[in-house]
Amino acid sequence: MHLSFIFGANQAFNPILPATGEIIWSVVSFIVLLALLVKFAFPPVKRIMTERTAKIRNDIEAAEKARLETERVLAEYRNQLEEGRKEANRLIEEARKTAELMREDLLRRAQEEAADIKRRADESLMIEKERVMNELRSSVGDLAVELASRIISYEVDRVSVDPLVVQFLSEVGARAK
Amino acid sequence: MFVLGSISFPPIGELLNWKSILFGGSALALNKIGLITLAAAIITIVMFALAGRGAKLVPTGLQNFVEYSVEFVTNLIVLDAMGPEGITWVPWLVGMFFFILFSNLFEVIPFIQMPATARTSVTIPLALISYITFVAVGIKRQGLGKYLKGALIPKGVPLPLLPLLIPLEFLSTFIVRPFALAIRLFGNMLAGHLLLVTFAILSEALFVKSLLLIALPLPFAMLVLVTGYEIFVSALQAFIFTTLTAVYIGEAMAGDH
Repeated sequence: MHLSFIFGANQAFNPILPATGEIIWSVVSFIVLLALLVKFAFPPVKRIMTERTAKIRNDIEAAEKARLETERVLAEYRNQLEEGRKEANRLIEEARKTAELMREDLLRRAQEEAADIKRRADESLMIEKERVMNELRSSVGDLAVELASRIISYEVDRVSVDPLVVQFLSEVGARAK
Repeated sequence: MFVLGSISFPPIGELLNWKSILFGGSALALNKIGLITLAAAIITIVMFALAGRGAKLVPTGLQNFVEYSVEFVTNLIVLDAMGPEGITWVPWLVGMFFFILFSNLFEVIPFIQMPATARTSVTIPLALISYITFVAVGIKRQGLGKYLKGALIPKGVPLPLLPLLIPLEFLSTFIVRPFALAIRLFGNMLAGHLLLVTFAILSEALFVKSLLLIALPLPFAMLVLVTGYEIFVSALQAFIFTTLTAVYIGEAMAGDH
C-alpha cells in the first residue's frame, strides 16, 4: 500500500530517473536558446543599455560643464558689478571734492568782492566827508563874518578881518576833529 | 492509487509520466516536459528579440523588464560572484536564469501546471552543462595542472592533512557540486508541485463531498497561498542555480581557492 503510494502503480516509471527524450529536448532547447541569445537577441539590448549609459554620462558631464560656465560668468558679472560700484563711488567722491573746491573758491571770491566794495565805500565816504568839511568851513566863515558884522553893528574891513576868521575856523576845526 | 478515506491520491508516477506527443517510442520522444523547455527557450528569445528590436533610449514596457533583468543578473549575480571580469558571461547567465525561471513558472500556469525542472531529465543536463563549463573555463584559464592544484589543495594547510583534504576537495568540487545543483532544483520544484497537487486534490474532494464543505476554505486557502509561494520559489531557485554557476565559473577564472 505505502510502496504503491511512493512509487506509483506503474513500477516501470521511476520519478527520479531521467527520460531520454526529455533530456534531448531540454538540452537542445537550452543550447539553442544560449546560442541565439548570445549571438542575436542579447547584443541589441546591451547596445541600447550601453548607449543610454553613455548618453547619461555625457549629459551629466555637459550639465557639469554648463554649471561651471555659469558660475564663471556669474563671478565675472559680480566682479564687473563690484568694479562699477567702486567706479561710481570714486566719481561721487570726486564730484563731492570738486563741489567743495568750487564752494570754497566762490566763498573766497565773494569775501574779496565784499571787502573791495567796503573799501571803495569807505574811500568815497572819506572824500565826501572832506568835501562837506571844506564846504562847511567856507560857509561857517561866511556866517561868522556876517554874524560878527551884525553883532558889532558896523562895517568892518573884510581884508583886515579875514586872517582872524581863518585862525578862528582852524581852532574850531581842530576842536571838531 | 492511494486512498485516504474517500479521497484518492494519484501515484507520483502518474503526475510526472507524460505521454509523448511526437516521435513516440524513439529517443526523440517529445512530451509535455520537452514542450515546456522549448517554450521556455522560445519565450526568452522572443522576449529579448522584441525588446531589442524596438529598443528606445527611454525604455518602456517589455524593454524595461528585459533591461531590468539584465541589470539584475549583471549586478546581483555576475558582479557579486565573478567581479568585473565575469561581465562577458552576462548573456550566458541571463539565458540560464530565464530558461530555469520559465521552466519553473509553468508550475503555476493554468492547464499546464507542471514545472519542467521537477524532472531530473532537465536539471541533470543543466547541472552538467554548468559543471562542464566551469571545469573547461578553469582548465583554459589556468591549465590542467594549475587548475587541479588550485581546486584540490587548499592554501595554508599543513602537509600531513593533505591526504585527507585532497579527496574531500575532489569530492566537494567535482562530484557534489553538479549533483547538488541538479538535486536542489529538482527537489524544490518537485516538492512544490506535489504540494500544489495535494491541496488541489483536497479542495476538489471537499468540494464534491458536500458534507465536508465546511472545511473547504482551509485547503483552498492553502492552495492559493502555496501557488503564490511557488512563484517566489521559482524565481528563487532560478536565482540560486544561476548564482552558483556564476560562483563556480568565477572561481575557475580567478584560480584562488
